[in-house]
Amino acid sequence: MRFIRNVFSQLHTFVLWALLSAIFWSWIFTFVTDTSPEKKVSVYCYVPEISDAELAAKLEEDKPEGIKMIKVHSFEYVMFNVDYIENGDIFVLPESLISEYDELLLDPEGGIKIYDSESGSGSADSYIGYAGEDYYLFLGMNSVHLDDGAAEEVAENLIGLE
Amino acid sequence: MADSVIELYTEADVEKLRKKIRIWAAALGIAAAAALIACIAMAASATTLTAEKMEAAAILTSILSGWVIIYCAIFVIGAARRELGHATTLRTSERERVEGRVSLNGERLRIRKSISARGVEVETPEGIKRFWVSQTRAGRLQESDAAALYISHGYVAAYEVSK
Repeated sequence: MRFIRNVFSQLHTFVLWALLSAIFWSWIFTFVTDTSPEKKVSVYCYVPEISDAELAAKLEEDKPEGIKMIKVHSFEYVMFNVDYIENGDIFVLPESLISEYDELLLDPEGGIKIYDSESGSGSADSYIGYAGEDYYLFLGMNSVHLDDGAAEEVAENLIGLE
Repeated sequence: MADSVIELYTEADVEKLRKKIRIWAAALGIAAAAALIACIAMAASATTLTAEKMEAAAILTSILSGWVIIYCAIFVIGAARRELGHATTLRTSERERVEGRVSLNGERLRIRKSISARGVEVETPEGIKRFWVSQTRAGRLQESDAAALYISHGYVAAYEVSK
């Protein structure tokens, strides 16, 4: 009883500590697990389901020279900061949304089909849950890895995954 | 009959409180350092695959260890510090002797950031006088046959029993 009374008398302190802890360690982990665009390849997938950490780890097994990390995000992640997506290196989009995001794509007409809705087969489908329509892979218009070939190499690796 | 004055806080009690504060502060310091090292180790060992789980574990470790440390710092070390301050004041301040029939009156005083106390009444020929005694020493006073109290700043500093 006394313990509960004590806790409630300092509830604001405990809540404040919880908030500060969450903010501080989230910031530390973001700092530790992220790097500059030059040292990472970012993949954005507009798909219903994705095992982003598992897919990124798989792609990192064969990452291009000079690349430290491969980051895989769903489009939900983009809601927090639209700037991220503008510098995306690789995009996976459903056919119906290509025109909506065409200004981000290097060649909107030249996407590589990575999921065929008729046959139900697609690349990296152990990690990506496709649905309903065909999906295409594109390189990003503003990617910093077009010249060094890293974006293309990661895209090829992704297409080759089961 | 000779009278004997019994201090509510002896020098040994004061030293015991100081020791308690030192031990708890050291223990909490070690706990805080251990939690910090654990969280840093989690951040340092995080990989792309484990980053989310490690982040959640580090946040949870930080929150829970922080709560325990905050609780102990406020309610163990803080309480001991307040009691030490109270004891030091009682031992060094001037006292007034009040003689009469002593009893605890059931009143309780709990001032924020101060000690908890219980009410004491002394029936003197001039009437009933009311004082306070530290909660941690109230039991000792209650069990004694105090014939007089030594009062400092409204609190009982010592009592006198007839031998």
